[in-house]
Amino acid sequence: MMRTIEVLIVIIIITGAFIGASFFAVLPWPRQVSPVNLRRLAFTTLQMLDSNYDLSRAAFEVDNYTIWSELHVALSASLPPNVIYNLTVYEVRSGTAQLYDPKASISNAESLGSTSDASSYLTASSNVTFNVTPEKIGEQGGGATLYILNCSDANGWWITGYTAQSLAEDLYKLLSPYFVKTVMVQNTDQLRQLIDGIEISGDPKENVENAIIINTFGECVPMPQEYYQGHALANEGYDAGAPSGYGYTRYCYTLGQKTREHNWTWASIVGYPFYYVSNTGVFENEQNGWGIYGMRMTSQGGSRAFLQGLDNQPYVYDSSGVTRDVGVVTLTADSTDYCNYYGIYPSFYQTSTRALSNSIQSDYNLAIGISMFNPPPGNENYNAGAIYRHVFDGSTDVTGSLLALGLTRTPDIRLTGLGLLSYYHPRLYRSEYTAYGTSRLVVLQLGLVGGV
Amino acid sequence: MVSSTIDHMVAVTAFLAATLIFIGLFNQTIQTAVIYQRHKFTATKASDLLDNMLLSPGIPVNWGQTDANLTGFGLQDPEFTQYKMSPFSLMRLNSAKGTPVFYYKTGLSYSNITVGSKNFLLVSNTSVVDYSLALRLLGINNTYGFQLTMSPIVTVEVTEDNAASPLLLSLNVQGTGFPLANAKITYCLTTVSLGGAYPSFNTNYGTADADEQGSATLVFNEVTDADLSYSLIAYAHLGGLVGVGYYERVSLEEEYVLPLVDSLSEGRILIAHNFDIESSDPPSAEVKYNASFVFLAEDFTMREMPLENSADHVNSGAGHPYQIVNIPTDNPGILIITYRKSANEGGIVMMPWGVSSLAFPVVFGGDPSQQEWVATDMRQVRVGGIAYQAKIALWNLEGYQVVG
Repeated sequence: MMRTIEVLIVIIIITGAFIGASFFAVLPWPRQVSPVNLRRLAFTTLQMLDSNYDLSRAAFEVDNYTIWSELHVALSASLPPNVIYNLTVYEVRSGTAQLYDPKASISNAESLGSTSDASSYLTASSNVTFNVTPEKIGEQGGGATLYILNCSDANGWWITGYTAQSLAEDLYKLLSPYFVKTVMVQNTDQLRQLIDGIEISGDPKENVENAIIINTFGECVPMPQEYYQGHALANEGYDAGAPSGYGYTRYCYTLGQKTREHNWTWASIVGYPFYYVSNTGVFENEQNGWGIYGMRMTSQGGSRAFLQGLDNQPYVYDSSGVTRDVGVVTLTADSTDYCNYYGIYPSFYQTSTRALSNSIQSDYNLAIGISMFNPPPGNENYNAGAIYRHVFDGSTDVTGSLLALGLTRTPDIRLTGLGLLSYYHPRLYRSEYTAYGTSRLVVLQLGLVGGV
Repeated sequence: MVSSTIDHMVAVTAFLAATLIFIGLFNQTIQTAVIYQRHKFTATKASDLLDNMLLSPGIPVNWGQTDANLTGFGLQDPEFTQYKMSPFSLMRLNSAKGTPVFYYKTGLSYSNITVGSKNFLLVSNTSVVDYSLALRLLGINNTYGFQLTMSPIVTVEVTEDNAASPLLLSLNVQGTGFPLANAKITYCLTTVSLGGAYPSFNTNYGTADADEQGSATLVFNEVTDADLSYSLIAYAHLGGLVGVGYYERVSLEEEYVLPLVDSLSEGRILIAHNFDIESSDPPSAEVKYNASFVFLAEDFTMREMPLENSADHVNSGAGHPYQIVNIPTDNPGILIITYRKSANEGGIVMMPWGVSSLAFPVVFGGDPSQQEWVATDMRQVRVGGIAYQAKIALWNLEGYQVVG
């Protein structure tokens, strides 16, 4: 009988243990097991309300009944019916006093129940402008002038879908903040002035020396009429001995010389540099071989002639090719960094069908100032986009530069901007974001009602 | 001796019985706790998975605007950060709701989102991403199932109160939990003209304000013909919330043209006769059409973009090929096609280019209705500027039974 009593005692003890365990091991409610992520819901709701800066405006106009009424309606409309909320705007203060000072609050319930969560969102005042002030290129040394070829009496090639004038306008918007003076070269007469070292605008800030000239005409370069066969400067613009009608390679040679003399940086935005010359007046009845009138082909000799002039070599017509189709190239790590620094984001992948051979470096005393693209395997001796600096052997002085983007059409002028900015690297002075009174903290707390 | 033996046997029997009972009781408690724990894990997984989908543009990043094969699943608009979704990526998801349609002239089936009677989004099955691929790309194949629902937060319901002289249309703007009181409304009334060789249309733009109940009435005195075909597109916006509503009236219901998305990368839309889709077998009848494209500008007004080869005709049956129009933009908009059979019979159909233009809902994934436990989570997102709610339902496929 004793054993039975012992067993009963054991059963009582185990029963007690079970009851005790069941009492303490309380299983959570289904809502706690599978909760709606109220924190993320609150955060995404705040983002949505601020998508058109309505929330930011409300945060800084806490006395504007209309705006807060709209915010209240939008908040109520965007949340599910079983979600209650409390939205509070805080002034962010500095010093040792209370850091967050509540400015306004709206809610659709007295309390948020047992299950609630919150997200915060920092809004910026629309009255505050966060400026970025760029350093002007060359402002420490007399200032560099940017010339953008916008000649109305010339045609472009390989700028399909654009006009040189539209590209010039976009380049002006993109790059003029970085220069002391930007001049649009409106016609080939003004280009002629430039070639002769004469300032165009009359502005004392303009400086022909050390200037940057962007040719927006693609593979074609505008040519003043004086260089036309039989005209005043034909001996500097036309080579009667050149084959196949490519006589205007001589003009490219002159441009090379002037680039050296004035220490210009000549920018070719796309394709094969100096492949055509254009003047809609003197070439009115002549075409470039592809049916575009107002233009003549110089072919591969154009680039060679420019480089000869840049290196002060005697002019010799040279038709040997200087480029290769290397296919898809990618921006270098440095270029990508500069994209982020200047906020210019062209495609990481580009197609280069006119990459310049590295042989020009030894042939014409050129050194690469900055290389923008990684060459694809097997094409390491070709450069799809680079700034070449001309430095005579034994000298350290730069005497002219060439930015050549040997990419296929159509041009992306952001790459031109990126190349020049990467090379000159003007600094950006950004305003302080943490200025007092420019930010307010919005906290949205959500709770659930109904159900279990 | 005998009583001792009996005592022993009773004690052992009672002890064994009690042990078995308590093992069962404790086991039940433990199993319930384990299942709860697994449910909680499923809920956490649902939240993570939803963020993975919404905060990644996928691979390639512009897959929504191409017909390229998808190698990474994500719905974020590649041009933005935060919870902004690509209206084109959503367009490529194989709809779990609409019944696919088969068009014998291309030999292809089309994923089907149809809202109302004349608003279509039919995307070629060669372009859409199906559920099984999404499961594989998300790494949850054979472990979890999900259903993703993207539904507009703001609905704009349009009803016709008076057919003509004047045409009266009531708009009711509602959020998910509350009317969008005092919402600002921008609308475009497109009326169809059936005269001329091809149908054409006129547009009438305007603005209105909703009242405290989110209601507004639009009055069009210029509509005097009760048989006039027209469509109304209305955008309602307030405090960062933007919603779209639409309504059509057509004088020819049975015969119309259907736009089928053939290539997303080229924006190629096939214009088909509805008899060829709905397997009707009436006598063939030519329908002439005129297509146009409109998109929503930042100031909530609508701008029209001309299309090449926009006017032509289609017919049903063999020997009558479909026609093609190309949408020449990567921006979301609405393809509006007017059609006519005769000088008195015609109508208008619409197709969103990017689901957000007409706030089409998207349901993608499996069916949660037969699952034992389904965890849900939601986010507020923007799709092409329109406020949407993204909701995921997730369930475990590995199986665990409920005790009891």
